[in-house]
Amino acid sequence: MVMVGALRRRIVCQMLWLALACPITLGAQTGHDVAVVVHPDVPIDSLTTADLRRLVLGDRGFWPGSLRVTLLLRAPVAYERDVVLKNICEMTEAQFRQHWIAKVFRADTAVAPKIVYSSEMAADLVNRMAGAITFIDAAQVGRGMRVVKIDGRMPGDKGYTLH
Amino acid sequence: MTDYSHSRFIVRATLVSILCLGPALSAAAQQPAPPAHPTPPDDQTMREAQPEYPSLHIAGFGDVDFAAVNRNDGARGFTEGQFTLHMVSALSPRIAFFGEVTFTPRVDAGTGSPAATGFNAEVERAIIRFDQSDALKVSFGRYHTPINWWNTAFHHGQWLQTSISRPEMVQFGGRFIPVHFVGALVEGVAPSGGWNINYQAGIGNGRGNVISRAGDAGDNNDVPALLFNVFAKPDRLFGLQVGASAYSDRITTIGRPDYNERIVAGHAVWQHENPEVIAEIADVRHTPVGTSVTTSSLAYYVQAAYRLPAPARLWKPYYRFEHIDIDSNDVVFADVPNLDVSIFGVRYDISTYVCIKTEGRIRRRAANLPWTNGWFSQIAFTF
Repeated sequence: MVMVGALRRRIVCQMLWLALACPITLGAQTGHDVAVVVHPDVPIDSLTTADLRRLVLGDRGFWPGSLRVTLLLRAPVAYERDVVLKNICEMTEAQFRQHWIAKVFRADTAVAPKIVYSSEMAADLVNRMAGAITFIDAAQVGRGMRVVKIDGRMPGDKGYTLH
Repeated sequence: MTDYSHSRFIVRATLVSILCLGPALSAAAQQPAPPAHPTPPDDQTMREAQPEYPSLHIAGFGDVDFAAVNRNDGARGFTEGQFTLHMVSALSPRIAFFGEVTFTPRVDAGTGSPAATGFNAEVERAIIRFDQSDALKVSFGRYHTPINWWNTAFHHGQWLQTSISRPEMVQFGGRFIPVHFVGALVEGVAPSGGWNINYQAGIGNGRGNVISRAGDAGDNNDVPALLFNVFAKPDRLFGLQVGASAYSDRITTIGRPDYNERIVAGHAVWQHENPEVIAEIADVRHTPVGTSVTTSSLAYYVQAAYRLPAPARLWKPYYRFEHIDIDSNDVVFADVPNLDVSIFGVRYDISTYVCIKTEGRIRRRAANLPWTNGWFSQIAFTF
């Protein structure tokens, strides 16, 4: 009887663990999508992957209405940066650095991307710097943030490419 | 309560918690998280992120070279390469200055009276630009002439280019293509859907009394140099750039009649590293003013490189073939030699900002001249 009780207690504990773990697992899957967040005044709702590539590589420096783009990128090793470099730029970290050194050296632009060191910093600055765009783990996107669609899809949608 | 009834209670409580809390937690997980910043923003972070004007940034490029050649054709042994400083400064959200200064070691250092200095200092580029939008940017100053892709992609940054040497058709100090341009440039991206068609149109002084130099101190005739460059970077083929350029000028040199110069050039570049392919061609035509006798000189090169896959990812072998064919009746290019050269080498990226390159060159200036072989090495870096 004692053994049966112990067995049941173990089963109960495992069920409790599963009950708590399932939502967390779901949340983690959603969180691995990276949201593209812009300043509330940026006059766009959707970008294509090609648009995003031009923005990240500095080939596009203005939003519609001649609002200057301010690119906020996470520092190297951050998950969001890895996703952007791999999925959007199709570059390694070294290639991306060389690209931007060359970009400034060619006089294509005077402003390199601004580095942000945390999602909190990215979220803080994107809402306060006119024309800013940044990349934030979708699980950390707050209510006041303006997330744009990429190729018509939001983070969490099937077929969303930034993850 | 017995052990059994206690366990049954726990099982029921667990099932209730799964049924009630599970969906609630799942829904919570899919709901947007609360605002990431309930706390007041960090004003110091904000201040640091805001641009300041002027915002001067300086970067540098340098290289150290070694050459071993079987004939006396250029420098031998160790040579100090160009010491290049690049300055960029945003002066306002829409105005920026770009500058490039080089220091080049002189072979005649210490000779003459007064004695020549050890290095030549040169303002390679000095550009002030006004950006209205992506479609319209206007600038003034001294440029690398944008009728050749290599000339405007790598400038004096040896570290940026895969090979040690520039193609001879755009060699610094060379004469085939006017490497520098002093004047004004209008550029931008034309509305073209996914084709990303860029344009550059310029007016300037053209070549100076010495045709390898730009007219820095003013135009030496009353016919301005005009240039137009257009290139596409299609979205569907990310990494591809194809373009064409046209350039016209009047060349005035001491002791010779004036010549009209017309240059037509084209390029196709695949900018990924596996593979990297660069191909350029230019036709330069000279016509004495008042006549219809035209000479045509042609130059082209094709370079291919391939970044090896891991674990040899730091290695990038390359090959380039160059050809220059000068019209024998071209008086303006009387001192410009023909060329056929094959260059094969490898680049090794020792760190993110330092690379070592080594390459062999087999070249011939004319069919009746012997081949020249040489082996060259270079450490190039940015700082």
